[in-house]
Amino acid sequence: MRLCLRFLRKLGSLDAHEPTQSPWNAVVLSRVRHLHLRARVLTDALMMGDHRSRRVGQAIEFADYQEYTPGMDLRHLDWRVMGRSDRLVVRRFETETELPTSVVVDLSGDMSTGDRAEGGFPSLEGSKAGYAITLAATLLYFLHRHGEPVGLEVIAGETPFRTLPPRSHRNHLQQAFLALAAAKPGGVAGLQAALVRAGSHTRRRSWVAVFSDGMEEPAHWLPALGAFARRRVDLSFVHLFDEQELSLDYSQPSVFFSPEGGAELAVDPAAARAEFAKVVAEYVGEVRDGVVRWGGRYLRASSRDPLEGVLRKLIVGGPLSSNVTMGARGEV
Amino acid sequence: MSLSFLAPLAAALSVLLVLPVLAHFARQTPRDRRSFGAMMLLQRVVKRLRRRRRVKDPFLLLLRLLAVAAVIAAVMGPDWIYSGSAPEFGGSGRVVIVVDKSLSMGLADGGRTLAQQAREKAIAVVEALPAETKVGLVLYGDEAEVITPTMEADPERVLAALKDLEAGYGGSNLRGALLAARRLLAGVPGEVLVFTDEAGTEMVAAAKPEIQQLLEGDNTVLPQVVHAEPPRNVAVVGATYGEGMEGGQVRMTVANYGTAPIEVACEVTLPDGQVIPVFAAVGAQAEVEKAVTVPPEARGGVGRAWCDDPDLPMDDSRYFHLPRVGASRVLVVDGDPGDTPIRSEVYFLERALAPWGGVREGLRPDVTTPLGLSNLDPDTHRVVFLANLADPRAFGPRLTEFVRKGGNLVISLGDNVTAERYNAALSQVLPAPFRKVRDLAAPGEPGVPLTLPDTDHKLFSAFSRGGRSSFSKVRAQRVMTLEPYDESEDVHTLLEFEGGVPALVERKVGNGRVLIWTSTFDLGWSNLPLQAMFMPMVQRMVSYLGGEAGGGGIRENAFVGELAAVALPDVGLEPQVMGPDSQPVRSRVDAGKVLFIPEKPGAYTVQVEGSPPLASVAVNTRIEESDVRRSSSIAGVEREIRPDLFARRVDLSPYLYWAALVFFTVQAMVSLRRTA
Repeated sequence: MRLCLRFLRKLGSLDAHEPTQSPWNAVVLSRVRHLHLRARVLTDALMMGDHRSRRVGQAIEFADYQEYTPGMDLRHLDWRVMGRSDRLVVRRFETETELPTSVVVDLSGDMSTGDRAEGGFPSLEGSKAGYAITLAATLLYFLHRHGEPVGLEVIAGETPFRTLPPRSHRNHLQQAFLALAAAKPGGVAGLQAALVRAGSHTRRRSWVAVFSDGMEEPAHWLPALGAFARRRVDLSFVHLFDEQELSLDYSQPSVFFSPEGGAELAVDPAAARAEFAKVVAEYVGEVRDGVVRWGGRYLRASSRDPLEGVLRKLIVGGPLSSNVTMGARGEV
Repeated sequence: MSLSFLAPLAAALSVLLVLPVLAHFARQTPRDRRSFGAMMLLQRVVKRLRRRRRVKDPFLLLLRLLAVAAVIAAVMGPDWIYSGSAPEFGGSGRVVIVVDKSLSMGLADGGRTLAQQAREKAIAVVEALPAETKVGLVLYGDEAEVITPTMEADPERVLAALKDLEAGYGGSNLRGALLAARRLLAGVPGEVLVFTDEAGTEMVAAAKPEIQQLLEGDNTVLPQVVHAEPPRNVAVVGATYGEGMEGGQVRMTVANYGTAPIEVACEVTLPDGQVIPVFAAVGAQAEVEKAVTVPPEARGGVGRAWCDDPDLPMDDSRYFHLPRVGASRVLVVDGDPGDTPIRSEVYFLERALAPWGGVREGLRPDVTTPLGLSNLDPDTHRVVFLANLADPRAFGPRLTEFVRKGGNLVISLGDNVTAERYNAALSQVLPAPFRKVRDLAAPGEPGVPLTLPDTDHKLFSAFSRGGRSSFSKVRAQRVMTLEPYDESEDVHTLLEFEGGVPALVERKVGNGRVLIWTSTFDLGWSNLPLQAMFMPMVQRMVSYLGGEAGGGGIRENAFVGELAAVALPDVGLEPQVMGPDSQPVRSRVDAGKVLFIPEKPGAYTVQVEGSPPLASVAVNTRIEESDVRRSSSIAGVEREIRPDLFARRVDLSPYLYWAALVFFTVQAMVSLRRTA
């Protein structure tokens, strides 16, 4: 933790590109610490029972033997075999590949509904934006601990860093944490353009996890997922929602308005609830089908769902499943 | 029941009903503002909901609509008009009491007859009348009986008449009673109280015109019905002796007008006092017929069929005529005892009248020589056969008198008969004088056949179903011809041979008839006895002369309370009518008929002092009076004629105001609860 703080202090002398808010904010620092702590705890829970050590840059899995030919690296010569049989053979190993991962977080105005924390930041619990931030931070931390290069792309919102390309070094993770901790949701997502932009600078054969409520016309932004498909990117779309919103669980008639602006609507929730449930079902189906159609993986998560379970679903069966190991506890 | 609005213009207020509806459709702008992250979805919902705007809180709207509607209805002043009971009694100052004393009012209910109940009610009403009230009284059975010629202020006379009131045997002339009541009122409006059981199917319907007249005269007809519930009565509604002169059964019909099946003990009493018990089980509102076999010998007269019914004993008896049964009523005078059976008319006649010796059916005639005619008793024998009698001159006057008094004579001819002797002795009863014996065919030839008879005639009606053609097989070689005669009301040719020679000729004389068969009843002149039609024709001949067309004692039927008329055989007689209790009954003679009105059922006789009865009259009650069920009511008829008299009106406004208050209160409570 001290290392993290030292890094943050050092970070203050750097020139952040288009910072929207100074990261030297006590509240932001507190959120970074809190976010880091949550990410570590959750990652530990995910990795419970995993005792294998990590060796960066070395292949560790033996594959087979090959007859030595001049020019081969003598370090891989098996001396024991030569001593027993006078044969020169070279040991071959399976090479581990790294998986660059980008996390795309939607912090548009619609994600801001729910609880608020100090300083106008979204609460890390009880809001879609906070849930998305925590989920992104944990996933980044988890992957970083596995030595994977991680990147961050924030859609809308107010944040000191809009885009962080995938990197493996430690400071890079800290920059991502700072960006997430300092982020405030706002503005219009513009999902279609944002996804196209994110897809354009994503490395081929990488993994992209999108955390969004997708609250724009699906027919408009779903085709943008094609940008990822064309680059053979493994796409996981985590569809976030707020239970109270999608069940229209309000007792009194109210004037509803969107944080992103637009017309206000006076609605009696009791009268509209049944019809709203039908609309939600249609909408969720439309998004799920669209994501699957473009080769992505669809996960739906409520801002009240336990993070560990969602992460487990996200990792298991995804592109990480062959590269990382996880503890047995907390299987969903 | 109907609802009429007194203020139709107030219906314009009904537009107020729109207000709650509009209020519930109107949408208030909510005060709360709420940030919502799924506005895109909410907009989709609102688009759909705009297509079908729903009423908010339909229960509250219903309550408010009811409240407003109740106020509007109350302002309009609605009346509830329904058909109530008969108009109430009192207030006119002129009251005519009409009391039914017909037979059906004798029905006992609760230990008292309906007539007694009606009497007590009527007395109570009269005694309760205000002092200045004028009152009249009409009693009715078959006829209306006006007790008070005018309306009287003193009710003593009315009360005195009522205290003696009992049910009679008569019918129910309600129409006549109401007519009498209307005349008593003499055009001044008043009230007519009718104490009756409304029994029967015709009484009230027949009185409808008179009820209408009374109502149109601003009078009030107030039925005071007394009846037994449920109605019950067992009555003998029919009793007849079986068809035919000799032998047979008495058939009695027992009716049950009650609503439950019943078993009753009945009996048939013959004129000579013999009593034959019979048991009848009758279903609810049904009739049953019971047959009683009459003993081999019974005296003629009026018998009685009776059933035990304590509810209404006055109609338990029904009287019927019974002819003399058992003793032979046919006398055959054998004028030519043949040496062989086939040459004897009596041989064939006896077998034709009693084919099995009279054991099973038929009759055994008394056979006598001509000397037997000297003791001819018209009360004993109704039919006399003169079979080939040689010389009737010694008995001519007696036979003539016998026929005049209702006896019947059948003359068959033969070799013994000579025209002169018969013409001399029986010229007053023969259809035409005999002329001479004539051969219709030469010896050895089959003879002349009969023509077919007219089956419309009573004598041959039985042959309409078969056997008519067998008449053509009768062939005669010889006949006794008659002097030419004209067909008239009294003289008929019933059969003739081909060629027009008369074969059977009838003449009506006084109360009797004479039949002449111009050939023989044996095989001397014809083959008649060998034909299939011989036996039934002879039996029909006896039945025709003695049982149906024949006279004998005059038998008449009459009803209690109605004029009975008995035609006299001789206008010079001064007969007397004797009642069932052997007491003289008031009667008069008019145009050859004895006229009297029987006051109770039973056997009545018309007789001249010192001689056998000229006629017997069975007097019964009308069976309509036995039917004690009510099929229509006076009130119902009044309701048809003047429904306004029965209209009852209730002002609904206060109730509607109360209902509106309740609805307003409830809706306020519901509204407060919803708001909270």
